[in-house]
Amino acid sequence: MDNRELFVEMQQSIVNYDEAEAIRLAKMTLEKGIDPALAINEGFAKGIQIVGNMFGKDEIYLPELVMSADAMTAATDILGEAIKKSGGKAKYLAKGIAGTVKGDIHVIGINLVATFLVANGFDIEFLGVDIPSSVFVEKARELKADIILLSALLTTTMPSQKEVIDDLKEAGIRENVKVIVGGAPVSQDWADKIGADGYGQNASAAVDVAKKLLGI
Amino acid sequence: MIELVERIASIQPIKSKLKLAIHDDDELKKINEMAFSILEEVGVHCPSQKALRIFADAKANVDFDKKLVKIPSYLMVEHLKNAPRRYTLAGRRPELDVKIGSDDGTYCACGGEASYVIDFRTGVKRRAVKEDLANIARVADYFPIVSVVWQIVSAGDMGITAPIHGMEALFNNTEKHVQTESVIGERSAKYTIEMASVIAGGRDKLRERPIFTGMICTIAPLAHDESGIEAALAFAEAGLPVGFMSMPTMGLTAPPYQASAIAVGLAEVLSGCVLTQIAYPGTPNYVVIPTAVINPRTGDYFYASSFSQIANAAVVQLAHYNGLPALAGSSCGGNAYKLNSWQVGLENIYVNLLAVMAGADMCSGLSGLMEVVTVLDMRRFVFDIEIFQAIDIIVRGVEVNDNTLALDMIREVGPRGMFLGQKRTAKELPKLWPPSILFEKPEVLGEKYRNAEEVAHEAIDWVLKNHHPAPLDERVKQELRKIVTAADNDESLKRKLKGE
Repeated sequence: MDNRELFVEMQQSIVNYDEAEAIRLAKMTLEKGIDPALAINEGFAKGIQIVGNMFGKDEIYLPELVMSADAMTAATDILGEAIKKSGGKAKYLAKGIAGTVKGDIHVIGINLVATFLVANGFDIEFLGVDIPSSVFVEKARELKADIILLSALLTTTMPSQKEVIDDLKEAGIRENVKVIVGGAPVSQDWADKIGADGYGQNASAAVDVAKKLLGI
Repeated sequence: MIELVERIASIQPIKSKLKLAIHDDDELKKINEMAFSILEEVGVHCPSQKALRIFADAKANVDFDKKLVKIPSYLMVEHLKNAPRRYTLAGRRPELDVKIGSDDGTYCACGGEASYVIDFRTGVKRRAVKEDLANIARVADYFPIVSVVWQIVSAGDMGITAPIHGMEALFNNTEKHVQTESVIGERSAKYTIEMASVIAGGRDKLRERPIFTGMICTIAPLAHDESGIEAALAFAEAGLPVGFMSMPTMGLTAPPYQASAIAVGLAEVLSGCVLTQIAYPGTPNYVVIPTAVINPRTGDYFYASSFSQIANAAVVQLAHYNGLPALAGSSCGGNAYKLNSWQVGLENIYVNLLAVMAGADMCSGLSGLMEVVTVLDMRRFVFDIEIFQAIDIIVRGVEVNDNTLALDMIREVGPRGMFLGQKRTAKELPKLWPPSILFEKPEVLGEKYRNAEEVAHEAIDWVLKNHHPAPLDERVKQELRKIVTAADNDESLKRKLKGE
């Protein structure tokens, strides 16, 4: 089997949201000594593009999107380490971090946002919930993030979104990164008030806002 | 126009002649056994050391590291037996008492808790403030169809202690029983208990006549919140009723089936009830499980789907099966802000009609809330009242007796006659045409047409200007102020609420 066929199989594993197959192909990539960045760019990432287009055309719904993104993440987790070692580079639309702010343990909304972005070709590191402002700042600096997504589901934790923005300014990296806020009590007004770059009403909107802000 | 006259607060439950049984005995048994099996085999996450110790002492299987509790079915049965099916939610006057489990019917409660309001004067959407809550509490106090008043909006200008300020706003602006869903954490609960004790005249009197209920939300799937569960224990210790609400979303936080979503939700709320029964046997509990559906395109939460509406009503039967009262119904309010949208009318009538017909002890659909319970439009509150008026009429069914069969009238009028000029018609017809905000039209040619929004606006305006609930004693008011100020100055409370 030449690499081209293998790349097609990789695409298919994502389109078929077959996580086990995606993992098998990722491992095979390493065993055969194929460039892992090439495997992502020519194989798995093309699969996720197809899935994104299918979702855009109403051919599939969220569950398929989530399963495809899970398969994609499983493959890229395996290949990511090898890419770091080889010095190669996978092509993503942009790099970002996502999490729920300090004091807030709601996970589902931000998880969906991260999944949507992955399914649309972003490289997103999902930090989890109850994340202190300092961690967002450190990660943004370390990963040279283009975008930060901050979720707050409680009126009482919304101020933590502002704290992250203020701390980014203090760290001198506010200009390097776009900040999108979201969560049930959050609004465009709030985003404007705290100096965020954008507001996503739902996961789908967050992707559009992210693309617009980054000029993609 | 609806009737607007100066009066003191009163309450009027809806008694349904129509009975809706969604499940047969076999289905009830299956879903209930499923909920019990979930608790026995899968367990529920409970991140409170205090609650875990209570469960462990009662011989539940507790994993303190994972904060996971598995409750054997026999323990569930043993402790749920202590939960009363009948109890009273006291108003400030006995005439305002809500008699749960009586034959009075379904008592209507509000919904909540929204972060935003449509400003009544300017029509602009803005963050809700304490004054908004005071105002809507006065409106709820005025209309007899409302029996239980919630924190419909947040006191968004009061910072992290907003829920405690919210209780002050309610206590000062309604004589009716109050329910909160946002007072969480043991310390916050204790501040509100102290406030209620001052009003009731002491802790013992509050226990005898509980003037407020704490409602606690679980986290789907199968988890409790530390602050929530510890507030529940504090309320139960004070002898206050404690409700548990689960909000499973089919396809997201619950399996994509109504039966399974109900079972998961039931497992959550029953585990909360059992905890309060173990710790304080006889605590008045109730349960509520509004299931929802995830929008498969956007991920938005949507809880007014027809699939959800029938599932909400089904929960009433399951609650009663376990000897517990149920709160059902809701003010769904659509996913998009459109005051008179077809969607809103459809959602709110069906969800509450089904709940009342299913025999819900309380129905929480009277709120004026929009956009999935995030925005209050006070005009919509009047529309919700209109919906409940319709429900009240529908569930009475058709009265059949000699008088209503009216053979004597038919004899008198005879073929090709007219019933309009009859004395009995004159007496009865107004009952068939109750006051409404929907049927306003120009009286004379050229006069401006008034739609329901304008009429509702006028009604709210009138209530805000003319209805002044019986005030608390000045000394009591001052005591409440002191307690709220103490909460505002309690650095330890604020750190806890901030999650530090």
